[in-house]
Amino acid sequence: MALIELDHIGKTYDLGLSQVHALRDIDIAIEAGEFVAIVGQSGSGKSTLMNIVGCLDVPTSGRYRLAGRDVSELSDDELSDVRNLEIGFIFQSFQLLPRASALENVELPLIYRGVSKKERRERAIESLERVSLADRMKHKPTELSGGQRQRVAIARALVTQPSLLLADEPTGNLDSRTGEEIVRLFLDLHEKGNTIVLVTHEPKLAARCPRAVRIVDGLVIADGKGRDVAMANAEAMGADVVAQVIAAEEAAAAAARSRGAGA
Amino acid sequence: MSAEPGATPPAPRSPEPQARPRADAKKKKIGFFRRLIRFAAEVADAVTQAVRSLVSHKLRAALTISGVCVGIMAVIIIFMVEAGMQVSFARQLSALGPNTLYVHRWAWGVGGRDWWKLRNRPSVGQFDYRSLVANAKLPIAIAPVANTEAVVMRAELELKNVDVRGTTEAFLEAGGWQLRKGRFVSDFDDELGSDACVIGADLEDAFFKNQDPLGQRLKVGPTTRCTVVGTLVRKGNAFGRSQDGVLVLPLSSFLRSFGAKRGLTIAVVAAAGKVMETEDEVIAVMRAARRLGPDQEDNFSVNRQDKILQGFNQTMMTTNIVGILVGVITAVVAGIGIMNILLVSVKERTREIGIRRALGARRGSILMQFLCESVIVALLGGACGVAMGAGAAALLDLISPVPASIDPAVVTGGVVGSCILGAIFGLWPALSAAFLHPIEALRHE
Repeated sequence: MALIELDHIGKTYDLGLSQVHALRDIDIAIEAGEFVAIVGQSGSGKSTLMNIVGCLDVPTSGRYRLAGRDVSELSDDELSDVRNLEIGFIFQSFQLLPRASALENVELPLIYRGVSKKERRERAIESLERVSLADRMKHKPTELSGGQRQRVAIARALVTQPSLLLADEPTGNLDSRTGEEIVRLFLDLHEKGNTIVLVTHEPKLAARCPRAVRIVDGLVIADGKGRDVAMANAEAMGADVVAQVIAAEEAAAAAARSRGAGA
Repeated sequence: MSAEPGATPPAPRSPEPQARPRADAKKKKIGFFRRLIRFAAEVADAVTQAVRSLVSHKLRAALTISGVCVGIMAVIIIFMVEAGMQVSFARQLSALGPNTLYVHRWAWGVGGRDWWKLRNRPSVGQFDYRSLVANAKLPIAIAPVANTEAVVMRAELELKNVDVRGTTEAFLEAGGWQLRKGRFVSDFDDELGSDACVIGADLEDAFFKNQDPLGQRLKVGPTTRCTVVGTLVRKGNAFGRSQDGVLVLPLSSFLRSFGAKRGLTIAVVAAAGKVMETEDEVIAVMRAARRLGPDQEDNFSVNRQDKILQGFNQTMMTTNIVGILVGVITAVVAGIGIMNILLVSVKERTREIGIRRALGARRGSILMQFLCESVIVALLGGACGVAMGAGAAALLDLISPVPASIDPAVVTGGVVGSCILGAIFGLWPALSAAFLHPIEALRHE
């Protein structure tokens, strides 16, 4: 049984005069432990898909099973619990509470599942250590760099030990060097067994994922190895994509080298 | 389904908790004990967030809090003055004595409309007094009291508006007074029409500072002179007026000086527990003395302190209604202030709401978070209002004739009331926050 089973998912927004079919007929299954990129241009429906996968929204048709549980017809409170228990969100704009310290931000999801204060603190510290931010725990988000903020967000997503990490353009607000840092962190988490679904419009990022799904106009048009999916659409996207994929491969090689050097 | 074989799980899986078998995930549920901790943690978090939000917008919070504060203060002052009146009234009433009946031409607590019925009644006089003394068996003591206001002088000193009373020995028992020095006017003084007089604490202070008043002479009104034979223990204020500006003369001397036809009040002291029987007897004796036929109404009144209480309670009811009305108006004004600050807070923190919802906050958690904020604002305002109201009431009691006292019930009511106020007026903004769509909240700039 797959962790995520999207079965003929459709999402239609009723705008009164017209209807917008954000998702038409999405059929995807993702196994536990996979690292999947969902790629698509803006307006392709990938954000809608990610909201549905993240249980922030419900589909208008089709069935979505997360960890064997049909979440299409859950109540609002049940969806909240599913978000808390099963999913770790990572957003493009980090979405940290501005007035709370890094540690408090990481503790936040644990509040909503009734973890005692002591355990919350321990787990949050542990989680921040995993993203190498143990020395920045007391800092407010405004006192952290973009990359550090995103690592706090990742620590927050990891602290609940979710079944699924859901990242929406996680490198979109970062410069390329910090972006690379975050990508390596994801690859590392994937190696340790985390399931990651990453939404991006960058072929460069998709190329580094073991699997990528391309969405156009609410339909899956390609599903396969990240590199293949990124390259497949090169004609439509322009030669730029090829350059991006090559850059991505170089980055991956560099990452492997640095890891080798470190080890 | 559509996954390629190459993309399926990576070969080396470390024993991280995330990688545990999925069958376990199905059982993931939040148990009862966890719910309790969750509730406590959410409340603690909500309070922290609310305090942070208020601290980061000090001016805005201060304005709203002062709005609530002023409102609560107004209500607190009203109720504390009312409580003060009740306390001083009870004191006054206890001076009348719970077992004392007052036979008088007028009925106490009778409003303007009935005045016409009573105006043709004859005054209560010496004859009625003598009839009661002769024929009533149940009373412990019977004291006739005549009173007027007069100027009292000693050499250059003069005291205006002195409550001058003419009475007999029994008055001491009937009126709840206690002797401090010397003796009271006796029945002997009354028979002789002597010039003995007993003075209250105010007169003693005014005329005889650092002197022994006994044996000293005073001039009462234009013509009368008297010799002080005793002084009375201070009774204190009632209704913001001193009760101690009193001078007691023997009844006969009083009537000689201030007019023999003056109406009396006859104070009749009943034995404890026999007030009703005594009242019946007094009425019977009075009716017989006045030769009233069975078809005639009483042309006198037997008053008891509880009749005053009735009149007083009516007055208090009016005050109460005014107090409640003022309370409601200020509550609405203050409540709108709270609602306003909360709506702004919800607007500002829309993204935070989205984040929290994404991380697993239920609608109830968000609702509670904002209710906490509004209750804290209201509570701060309420506490401040109660403190200031109590201070103002104490000051009022001290420097003005309006009595006021700090009633714990009013303090509790003020604090609890402001909490309820916060919850009621915070409800709508909190609900609007709770029902925001998580995605739209997250996208909010």
